[in-house]
Amino acid sequence: MNPSQWHRRSVLQASGLSIALPGLESLADTDVASNQEDPEPRKAKRLVCIGTYLGFYQYAFFPKQSGRDYELSELLQEVKGHRDDFTVFSGFDHDAPNGHAAWNNFLCGKTPNEYSLDQQVADHLGNSYRFPSIQLSAGKSSRSMSHTKQGVALPMIQRPSVLYSKLFASDSDRKRTEYLLRSGKSAMDAVLEDATQLRRSISKTDRVKLNEYFDSIREVERRMKRQLDSEIETPTTNYRLPDYDPVAPTMQLEAERLMYDLMALALETDSTPVLSLFIGGLGQVFTINGETLQAGYHALSHHGNDPDAIRDLIKVEREHMKCFDRFLMQMKSKTDSRGQSLLDSTIVLLGSGMGDASRHSNRNLPTLVAGGGFSHGQHLVNDNQTGKSRLLGDVYLTLMQQLGIPAEKFSNAHHNLNDRLG
Amino acid sequence: MSTRLKLAVWFCICFGRLIFSQEHVSAEDTSREESTSQPFSGEDARTFVAENCMDCHAQDNPGEGSPFFSLPIDDSGLPDLTDLDDGQVQDHVNASQGDSVTIQTWRRVLEVIRDREMPPRDVASLEDVTIEKMTEWIDVKLQDQSVIGGTPPRRLSRREYQATIESLLGMKSFTLPSGFPVDQPKHGFDNLGEGLVLSPALMDSYSEVATSVADQIFPPRRIAPKPITSKVSVDDLVISYSSAKVVNDSMRLGMKCDPISRSCTWPSRFEAKVSGLYEMSVQLSAFRPKEGSSPMAVKVLARDVSSNDSVSHRSLRLLKEILVTSESPRDFKFEAILYEGQTVVLHWANATLDSDREDKEDLRRFFEDKDRENPKYLAAWHAMLNGESGQGFRGGIGWERVKANLKKEDLALITAKQKEAVLKKIISNPVLYAETVVFDVYENGPAVEIHGIEFTGPIRIVDGPREETSRILQRQFLNESEDPTEIISNFLQRAFRRPVEPETLDRWLNIFDHHIEAGFAFDESMHLVIRKALISPRFLYRCLGGPKLDNHDLAARLSYFLTTGPPDEKLSKRIPDLGDVEVLRSEANRLLPTSPKAVFVKSFTEQWLETKRLEDIMPDRALKFSRQDQNQSKLEVEYFFAEILRDNRPILDFITPDFTWTTPRIAQNIYGIKTGFDKKKANDLQRMTFDKGGRYGGLLGMSAIMTATANGVDTQPVTRGVWLLEKILGQAVPPPPDAVPPLTPDTRGATNPRDLLRLHTDEVACARCHRRIDSFGLVLENFDPVGRWRDKWPDGEVAIDSRVTLFDGNEIKDVIELKSWLAMNSDRFGNSIANQLMIYATGRPMSYREQAEIAKIVKSNQDRGMGFRDLILDLICSPIFSAR
Repeated sequence: MNPSQWHRRSVLQASGLSIALPGLESLADTDVASNQEDPEPRKAKRLVCIGTYLGFYQYAFFPKQSGRDYELSELLQEVKGHRDDFTVFSGFDHDAPNGHAAWNNFLCGKTPNEYSLDQQVADHLGNSYRFPSIQLSAGKSSRSMSHTKQGVALPMIQRPSVLYSKLFASDSDRKRTEYLLRSGKSAMDAVLEDATQLRRSISKTDRVKLNEYFDSIREVERRMKRQLDSEIETPTTNYRLPDYDPVAPTMQLEAERLMYDLMALALETDSTPVLSLFIGGLGQVFTINGETLQAGYHALSHHGNDPDAIRDLIKVEREHMKCFDRFLMQMKSKTDSRGQSLLDSTIVLLGSGMGDASRHSNRNLPTLVAGGGFSHGQHLVNDNQTGKSRLLGDVYLTLMQQLGIPAEKFSNAHHNLNDRLG
Repeated sequence: MSTRLKLAVWFCICFGRLIFSQEHVSAEDTSREESTSQPFSGEDARTFVAENCMDCHAQDNPGEGSPFFSLPIDDSGLPDLTDLDDGQVQDHVNASQGDSVTIQTWRRVLEVIRDREMPPRDVASLEDVTIEKMTEWIDVKLQDQSVIGGTPPRRLSRREYQATIESLLGMKSFTLPSGFPVDQPKHGFDNLGEGLVLSPALMDSYSEVATSVADQIFPPRRIAPKPITSKVSVDDLVISYSSAKVVNDSMRLGMKCDPISRSCTWPSRFEAKVSGLYEMSVQLSAFRPKEGSSPMAVKVLARDVSSNDSVSHRSLRLLKEILVTSESPRDFKFEAILYEGQTVVLHWANATLDSDREDKEDLRRFFEDKDRENPKYLAAWHAMLNGESGQGFRGGIGWERVKANLKKEDLALITAKQKEAVLKKIISNPVLYAETVVFDVYENGPAVEIHGIEFTGPIRIVDGPREETSRILQRQFLNESEDPTEIISNFLQRAFRRPVEPETLDRWLNIFDHHIEAGFAFDESMHLVIRKALISPRFLYRCLGGPKLDNHDLAARLSYFLTTGPPDEKLSKRIPDLGDVEVLRSEANRLLPTSPKAVFVKSFTEQWLETKRLEDIMPDRALKFSRQDQNQSKLEVEYFFAEILRDNRPILDFITPDFTWTTPRIAQNIYGIKTGFDKKKANDLQRMTFDKGGRYGGLLGMSAIMTATANGVDTQPVTRGVWLLEKILGQAVPPPPDAVPPLTPDTRGATNPRDLLRLHTDEVACARCHRRIDSFGLVLENFDPVGRWRDKWPDGEVAIDSRVTLFDGNEIKDVIELKSWLAMNSDRFGNSIANQLMIYATGRPMSYREQAEIAKIVKSNQDRGMGFRDLILDLICSPIFSAR
């Protein structure tokens, strides 16, 4: 399936383009980045970013040893089947201030709400896709994760059914879209005729300004025409969602599983190259394997080193890792349009803007990178002692370069980690 | 000459002068006594240039970067004065850019000569009268030849677009989708013609909004689905915080409090797919009800599943109140309406346990009762609270510990005093401890038991809030007419903000007719007309037409200036008379806001004074300035501005008033004001008065402004200096030119910001602008990054030395003297604020001539002792306002 067949209208609708200027610059970049005859083809083609609001209990997440022969930590046990397909990082962060408000710097670097990693990648890779990027959340999102170049926070889809119909439009949705397009197109001539008459009545200098209108409306019209002329190819799937949306707080883990399933489907159908998933954490009390936990997730995260609370907190976090494990499994077994395993060509980043939720510390952010054609299987420990300390942004630069983006700077980071993650 | 030195010289000359570019000489020149001799002729001016400038600025060596460099050279090798002399300069005017390059250059020449910068005194010593004549000649020529007007077509800004749709279609609280493109500010404002670009992406957003608006007025037809039955078992009910617990196959509710997330439960998998009537059956029983107490009252409420979980149960619609007395499960059947996306919430309305802070005495009684039943009760809590985890642990874990303590044989009993301490601690945090003790209730009662819920429906579909809104919107749109021609004609006239030509009307009627002919219904055809009208340039742009605004455009300009929206009904009725300046004045006076909450006050002040930046600044925690303080401090500026406007106070009140608006919290925390306000309302804005001539009062030193011109951690003297020059004195400050390499001044030995700045101004390339910028920045150094007064710089014991020499040679020692200096130079501030208002109103930067006209209006306002409101009205009645 060729992504360029996708109609551009939905592309622009979905992208949340947030600036009134034509994005010529980013289009130019895309042409370079997606050039098939590029002598050095990109090693990775897609990026998935997953951020958990409350982070992970550090002692359960980080392995004790560094290097390749490390012993899997309690939480990493849940993804042991993929040990050679991921790298776990400790000691990395954005050198940013602490507090819940700073959570948003997870993908943004030192300053919250700046041009996020996923959007930088989407602006490079996304333009020829149906959706340049898609933002999702499991559970209510109290934070924002993806930010455009102008710093606008992108809304996240919380209902799996909304994502589903976005990816696989139903018959009635499709009919409605087609009706709107056809009727709109037929009336467009009258609008343009009237605009042209208006144009004749104004001064020469003003006409120049009004050309922006004509250029824009012609572009929109051209897209409408292409959309109607070409057969709108919407992928189909046998996958069925349950008949309710798991938006209730206690259903977050179920929402998480569904979102992962749909993400794998979105990548398999080449609908988008960039996905982000926010995993929430409020007061909900989970029932895991039939056992209702003693306190809400948020309260557990403020465990204050209480062993009972930590035990229950880890139970929740294990569930997150189980969902993630299932996702990696699907990513391995599914292939893209060129027959390559999805995981090989997709970088999957799992992390958080919260290093230690109990103290609201934003140091030492739990980070894991899977897939994307890297040589994995190690625990990379940041050298914080000898002045050779590196930033999480350095890791992001390596990820961007792996995606064929010649980035040299990300927020406060100017290096990369290519020497350690190849 | 080394490149470095060349650049430095260029920077000094070129930018050192440009900084004056917004200043005016006209007012002072005209007021000066007539000089005895004749004014300069064009020939005199040529002679002046030939004699005084050409030695250095000859054609082969014009002085790189100097003003003359960019002027055309005539046959005799002199800068071409004929353009200026003959009135040809307009040809160079690019309407959307303000003054032409030639005019800007001549303005700089004028300023260089006036300030005796050029010719250098050692090259030519000129008499004052000669200088005056030359500058007068240039001033007159510049005024003659710079134009009034020239705003390009203005696309509606994001803010205006939203307000326009709201007003045009009567859609209250209409909001744009979150991804809707934002506008690029130009000259400090987001509503300038030049910055309001239209792109395909924005056009897409316009189409999208147009469709969703049309969908709301003429919604697509709904089809009733077949009724189905959904069973909600106990496992399908939500538990949030400690709101409920499953015990013995039933969900137990044990307490009440405001937020539903802390005391209620609701189905996790059921929501109404369409608005309709549903049959419900709730299975309930009472678990160990208290003897002799009234029956347990369970309220069944409706809530939107995607709304906030922490909403109060009081805000939810009551579907049914059920009284539960039976200890064995009973079915309660009833019918109720659920709107699309709603589910039910179960709330035990008369539970004894209550975690709301205002009911904390109830909580104390609850614990006291428990202790009466079991004298070890508070002792067990005492032991838990003083356990290893410090303050105990909330929820079921905490209760498990209390329970374990209760079982201990050797649990030490505690004294009455200790008990009182435990109770005090408990009621100090009702939420925390109610959520622990509720587990006692779950185990031992009394509690409400839920065994399951069943929904069947929709039995029939009903109109939900969405359909209700549509009906109202549709009624407004049709305005009791059934005639498409009348409906469409009325709609277009309002959408396009002017009478619609028959030819244009026909085109839209054709759209409607063709759709009807193609077999579509009335609603669908109207839907199409709305969608298309909202993407017409006649709707999206204003300010299209001839050189003078006609009355319709004038009405729109006035209305968008003062309300951000299209003309209201009253203004629309007066459009035919708007050419009469008295009518214009009275309409302007009517629309000028009197409330600090008016959108004009917010939109203008946050852009003019840059308080919009506050959204992006997070003050360091050490500065003790919360997000709420920050929001309130922004409002301070708006309330202050609004009062000066409403009461028509003199514009000097912006600088040296005897009042302000602030909250007691900020007054005490930032301004060090101790009295004169109602302390109980610590976070409410209140009016406070004080003596003139102090540190605080006026825009300078206002917390919001001092925060917006710092970065949340440190002060930024350069930012504050630039802010003061641009916003208060109306002097444009150019950005550092690209050609100047980034400087790394040698800052060794600098122990405080003043020294750092001095080293920085030792760099000759920066000195000219920075001496001026930094002097203002330094005076404001006494205000910390949130505006709190300080005498010493942080990190060290260095006292702040805020003495500076201003560009006019005046020496001042602190902000108090700075304010006196500003008061003496009130024309500068007056011109600046008037200029900013007119840029915002007209959507274009002010030309030389316009600035000169504004200066006259300001002077007259000051001379007559008039106020700020008068000034705005005079500006609106000036030809600058009504020129396109």
